[in-house]
Amino acid sequence: MATAPVLRALLTRKRNATVEEVRETLHRFRSLVEQNDRVLELIADAGEKLGGEYVFDSKYLYDLAEGLRGAAHSVVTTLNAISNDRYPELLDALAAIDESVQAALECRLVVPEGPYVLPLAEVGLPNLEAVGAKMARLGEVKSRLGCTVPEAFVVTTHACRDFLRSAGLLEAAEILRRRFAEGREDIEDECARIRQEILEAPVPRKIARAIRRGVARLAKPGEKDLLLAVRSSGIEEDGEMSFAGQYESVLGVPVDGVCAAWRRVVASLYAPEVLRYLRRYEVPPGCGFMAVGVMRMVPVRASGVIYTLDPSAPENNVLVVSAARGLGKLVVEGGAPVDRLEISREPGHEVVSAHLARKELMYVAVPGRGAVVEAVPEAERLEPAVAPWELVQLAETACRIEQYMKSAQDIEWAIDHTGQLHILQARPLRVTAATKPPERDLTDVVGRYPVLIKGRGEVACRGIGSGPVRIVADPEELPARIPPGSVIVARAATPRLGGLLAGASAVITDLGNATGHFATVARELRVPAIVGTESATQTLVEGEEVTLDAEDNVVYGGRVEALLRYQLFERSSFADAAEFRILRRMLRRIAPLGLRDPTSPTFSAKRCTTYHDVIRFAHEKAIAELTEIGWVSTPSGVPWVRRLDLPIPLDLILIDLGGGFRVDAGTATVGAKDLTSRPLLPVLAELTVGGAWETAPADMDLEGFMSSATRSMPLTGGLTGRPEQNLAIVSKEYLHLSLRLGYHFNIVDTHLGDTPSDNYIYFRFVGGVTEITRRSRRAMLLKRILESHGFVAEGRGDLVVGRIKSLDADAMVHRLRMVGRLIGFTRQLDIHLRSDHLVDEYVERFLNGEAASPKV
Amino acid sequence: MSTPTEVLVLDDEPLVCERLKEHLERKKYRVEVFTESQKAVSRLAEKRFDVVVTDLKMEGPNGLEVLRFVRDQSFGTQVIIITGYGSMDSAREAEYSGAFEFVHKPFRAERLEATVRKAARAARKLADQGAP
Repeated sequence: MATAPVLRALLTRKRNATVEEVRETLHRFRSLVEQNDRVLELIADAGEKLGGEYVFDSKYLYDLAEGLRGAAHSVVTTLNAISNDRYPELLDALAAIDESVQAALECRLVVPEGPYVLPLAEVGLPNLEAVGAKMARLGEVKSRLGCTVPEAFVVTTHACRDFLRSAGLLEAAEILRRRFAEGREDIEDECARIRQEILEAPVPRKIARAIRRGVARLAKPGEKDLLLAVRSSGIEEDGEMSFAGQYESVLGVPVDGVCAAWRRVVASLYAPEVLRYLRRYEVPPGCGFMAVGVMRMVPVRASGVIYTLDPSAPENNVLVVSAARGLGKLVVEGGAPVDRLEISREPGHEVVSAHLARKELMYVAVPGRGAVVEAVPEAERLEPAVAPWELVQLAETACRIEQYMKSAQDIEWAIDHTGQLHILQARPLRVTAATKPPERDLTDVVGRYPVLIKGRGEVACRGIGSGPVRIVADPEELPARIPPGSVIVARAATPRLGGLLAGASAVITDLGNATGHFATVARELRVPAIVGTESATQTLVEGEEVTLDAEDNVVYGGRVEALLRYQLFERSSFADAAEFRILRRMLRRIAPLGLRDPTSPTFSAKRCTTYHDVIRFAHEKAIAELTEIGWVSTPSGVPWVRRLDLPIPLDLILIDLGGGFRVDAGTATVGAKDLTSRPLLPVLAELTVGGAWETAPADMDLEGFMSSATRSMPLTGGLTGRPEQNLAIVSKEYLHLSLRLGYHFNIVDTHLGDTPSDNYIYFRFVGGVTEITRRSRRAMLLKRILESHGFVAEGRGDLVVGRIKSLDADAMVHRLRMVGRLIGFTRQLDIHLRSDHLVDEYVERFLNGEAASPKV
Repeated sequence: MSTPTEVLVLDDEPLVCERLKEHLERKKYRVEVFTESQKAVSRLAEKRFDVVVTDLKMEGPNGLEVLRFVRDQSFGTQVIIITGYGSMDSAREAEYSGAFEFVHKPFRAERLEATVRKAARAARKLADQGAP
């Protein structure tokens, strides 16, 4: 199988292309870029709609799905046309995404294929459909925030579906659904029958084995009395149907009882109380599958619930805690009096009010008997369930979770006998629309907090975020992760920076624009973001507490609690609406960018799971196809092919797509005065300045010489063995420049017109004559120079890719002149870059406008 | 204290009605919502509203017909038309027929509220002028 692509590549690459073919390829490429931008625009637009301030209807959702499907298919079809059908598997990936988005749109459930059991460390919001909402959020709390969470694994929805199928119950569920739709009242009996069958059906061997293995991983060596909690984790997440307390959870389960407990939880899909609950929402029973969390039970001293906002009075700046002795069952079931406390949201978290109950009963987990009620010893009944210092720790943790989840939270917690806090569950707090919202009142804010940045750059994701500043000046030196809750302040808005955003409370960049991949990731993760401030990395100070108000584009010094509270309420109140839930689900299948690094082996068509992945992959591969345009047969006598007459030793063939140059019928060449292509002129103006094109060979030391002598010729000779051409494919406003200068290969693809949003420059450079270290130094130099001119640049080894877009015509001309000069400046520079510090020196020379004239 | 502005919202999508009602009520408007235009027209016949916000394309009387009904029946009442994409021709017709403004879906709730505020001012002014 592996030889087929290689063979195809040999047959198709580097062959002679006709000018018509090249023109066709370029036209297709332009169309691919347009459709690519269309997808990005639609994603950006949908992300904005999720912000809450828009009103939209179901037609918008259908139009969105259709628009995305059309544009993404066009991108893929065009890529395959350019590449001779090199990526058929991309169509399969696309079909799967289409189906998944359509399912979200129609509120259908798609059970993801995958393992029957997942350890909590691998569980998070991206696999919500497999692991259910409860466990997905708990996974995030553990791995992203580092909170202590009981060790656990999840039995996935896939296991549930396969179990129900093997028990022959999928059809029964279908019949039930039909009867429900017909409005028949007599379905209780049928539900009871299905429930009984689930309880009695044998668990398929593969699933049972996976569960046993999961349990074995939770047990410590030699541990006998391990007790587990087996908890439902439904996928009908964060809507008005929270199913809170509707599905069964089984506590105190011994190791050998897990399969039976799992069946009990699955059977609760058909429990009478669930049926009543579903009737209220006119939803048929049995249309879901259940994920189930299996977790170690913590030997608890106290437990309970904390709300990060008082739902009945959000204007009060407090957290509300309910606490009981023993297991939290007493708090959530509300069967006996418990302690109720209000704690200030402000750091320090002082207790504002406390109502301590006389606690006579508590639940404890007993091996073999589950959760059992016991009497609290008489002397301890009036003692508070939680110590003051534990309350502070609880409040701090709750605020961190709220900040990460970006909405008010309802959190179940427990404290063990050593005083360690464990988080058992975190879900969005239901806030009703009837609740009076706090007004967004800035009169108090202005004056009390210093304004550090105002009105600079563009808002990429609206919202308000606060935290300590974490400066990321060098996009190449990204930390593996940042402390959760930080405000990231970065030089460039690169897609790779997107990988850090999940735990951030806000992000501010010097460079970048609101329609790039990075901005899309920020919107997807709902991290308030401002891009293109030019100088945030200079203005803001590492560690300083700031609040970004990305509604009004202001950065305040300090933590502006009034703004944060306003946002919490706003977010919590609209998040319930049905269309927001659907859009949120759709976006989960549309916007996440998994393919961030083009040099990674996982950058493949098969790994594309969202439209965003698809277009990123296709764009990158389309560019790669352009780099493979080999020798172009240039027929004489056609008016749109000419050799450019230049004062430098650069043999450049011009191919005109329309309006690129004027021709005189009798000549085979055109001069600079004949050029009419707007982007070509500034590049050539600087490319041909003196100094850069000395014909004398550069001095080379022995190491450099040996390396050049032993390097093969893949970048220059091609299969034909002859030197390849330098091509400039031009139109009035377009330039595709492909230069093969010695051993390196440079592409500039650019559009320069009067509409800034259409303008862009793509710069790609690879290769060199010397060994990889020196070539990499030149790449580093190029990257730094590009970045200093506002490009978003990525580099690996000797490859550099720089992009910039949405500039006005003057700014484009300025950048293109720089690009022209850069090409000449760095032409043979790798030979001279014998040490890292020389990179600094040459960057300096370039930026100071000095000639290349390398010092040897 | 002045009397609250009376707004009638008509859209066959309950979601849109709910969101608008919630948003406008927060801003102290008195709001009645309808998802069926026939019922809305009956209500308009018995009560004067300051502002009517109506979708354009609906079963039964459509937005243009509702607009004409309001013009004939209710002096000073301003009509804001909500349109989807691709309804430009009808939207233009609505403008010529005397709609206060038309707003494209999807729209910012804040923007619509600003339009309602302007329309209410115009409605009050006309009502004052027309008052005996």
